[in-house]
Amino acid sequence: MLIELKDVNKTYNNGQPLHVLKGINLGIDSGEFVSIMGASGSGKSTLLNILGILDNYDTGEYYIDGRLIKNLTEKQAADYRNRMIGFIFQSFNLISFKTAVENVELPLFYQGVSRHKRHEMAMQFLDRLGLADWAGHYPNEMSGGQKQRVAIARALITQPKIILADEPTGALDSKTSEEVMQLLGQLNKEDGVTIIVVTHESGVANCTDKIVHIKDGIIGKIEDNREHRASVFGINSTMK
Amino acid sequence: MKDLFTEIWESVRRNKLRTCLTGFAVSWGIFMLIVLLGAGNGLMNSFMQGGGGFATNSVSVGGGWTSKPYDGLKAGRRIRLDDTDVALTGSDVFADHVDKVSATVGTNATVSYGRKYFSGYIDGQYPSAQEMSKVEIRYGRFLNDKDIRDSRKVVVMPESTAEKLLDSGQGVESLLGKYVKVGSLAFQVVGISKSDRMRNDNNLYAPFTTVKTVYGKGQEVGSISFTTKGLDTEAANEEFEKQYKAALNLHHRAAPDDERAVWVWNRAHQNVQMSQGRKILSTALWIIGLFTLLGGIVGVSNIMLITVKERTHEFGIRKAIGASPWDITKLIISESISITAFFGYIGMFLGMLTCMLLDKTLGQSTMSVMDEQVAMLVNPGVGLDVAVEATLVLIIAGTLAGFFPARKAASVRPIEALRAE
Repeated sequence: MLIELKDVNKTYNNGQPLHVLKGINLGIDSGEFVSIMGASGSGKSTLLNILGILDNYDTGEYYIDGRLIKNLTEKQAADYRNRMIGFIFQSFNLISFKTAVENVELPLFYQGVSRHKRHEMAMQFLDRLGLADWAGHYPNEMSGGQKQRVAIARALITQPKIILADEPTGALDSKTSEEVMQLLGQLNKEDGVTIIVVTHESGVANCTDKIVHIKDGIIGKIEDNREHRASVFGINSTMK
Repeated sequence: MKDLFTEIWESVRRNKLRTCLTGFAVSWGIFMLIVLLGAGNGLMNSFMQGGGGFATNSVSVGGGWTSKPYDGLKAGRRIRLDDTDVALTGSDVFADHVDKVSATVGTNATVSYGRKYFSGYIDGQYPSAQEMSKVEIRYGRFLNDKDIRDSRKVVVMPESTAEKLLDSGQGVESLLGKYVKVGSLAFQVVGISKSDRMRNDNNLYAPFTTVKTVYGKGQEVGSISFTTKGLDTEAANEEFEKQYKAALNLHHRAAPDDERAVWVWNRAHQNVQMSQGRKILSTALWIIGLFTLLGGIVGVSNIMLITVKERTHEFGIRKAIGASPWDITKLIISESISITAFFGYIGMFLGMLTCMLLDKTLGQSTMSVMDEQVAMLVNPGVGLDVAVEATLVLIIAGTLAGFFPARKAASVRPIEALRAE
């Protein structure tokens, strides 16, 4: 098991205590392409934040590659995020005053990789995603799809164990959404990267091999979706 | 390091006007600090020059009146110093602390050369007086040992005195080797000294032995001067003075603890006071300067807080992809130090330029104090030490200004930062 969650609970204490995750048990193997699907307020974002070590949980255990992720210092958490996890966000979260290649380089900068080396690597990844010509452009000069591909390159550059994608198609049109999902699928198949996608769209979830349904902080059905038939629209349907 | 500066530059570039306005306050603070300290130094130098007519380790001794009855003699008796006092001063008793001894004896006399004359004071001196009273020779020489031994009739006079004996347009050096009449006797002029604003212009130096012999002063001595050595502290000076007075008092049959029988004027005390005054002035100026700078620092801190607020989302991204809190702290503090140091050095440069300007203008002008011309500022400006201190101040100030904003930036949780817009 690459990822293992054992009875994870999380409560927000903002005035009225809100029990968001009510005992989550989940295991994800290396090389899986999984989506976590649920409506808003189901706790899927909280789960993603915990998986990404951006937030901590109250009780239970969370292991990545057999390593317990609990009570980490900010510095350790930052280091784990840097080396083990790649993030893809709905709003891309590129740094606006840095060019595409500089954005892709950034995780390596925090690893202390030399200027020359990280530039070289960033160019390789951009090239793979077909953006070599756009390396010197700033995010506001690119389309949504291009921005998301830069973000994917940034997530991949540290060769992390897990890619966490939070509504990766949320800000994209249907055609680009499909391209992005195909790209993620391709990365999963060709490179064997473990990818976890959080979404509320059944179309997006249908692109993945396994769908974890979450509702009211509890994991419901876990669907095997290798046939890609889960969508209400069925096979060959477009998303959205 | 290069990456850090690239980051700082990227941040500053986006807010040029804001950064410059804030930086101006820092420049102004450092500018004021440098100008204040520079002008303060100029003022102190001017005081020092005024009071600098004597070697700082010199002591003058003169006769006074007894204030206590002693050994059967009543109080209020006049004490006149004599040759024995001179010998005593130079004897083995005080050999540890007394270096060069000189005595003076003087009298008023009319000095004339050709048709010109004036009423002057003939000051019988030893060659060591040159060092003690800091007499600067312009032409010729000062008195020497041979003059003393042979009781030669020679004089050294200040430029301004020499001018009184010459027609206008004649150079003072033309008087060298000539004979002037002092009273009824002819003295040869062997040296012309630089005029000293702090001293009587009508003083002529002649050999001690000559004046004593010619003017029939017998055993009597006007005053004794000597330089001291090995008296490094105020306490050591006081102890020495006590012993010295006691010895002289005993010779004149005055009470050993009589403070007024002989007057001892030790410049060491004055020197201590002077350097204390200098310290107080410079401390006061530092405080004023630092408070002026404080305004600038608060400004930088304020701007850094705004920057942090604006960049919260960006810091969230950085944290998500692996920036540690220290990485963020470092970014903010070094940006703060860079802004402070950059604008601080502009201020420092302008401050030093202003000091130079002060030197060219006020530094050249003089004012009249008690009929004497005193320069208002002498060599205003600050040394390398102040530049180094100011640099330290800037770095500390920059760190302080960046500290709280940086802590705020580093402590924001990544999920909250990512949510911020």
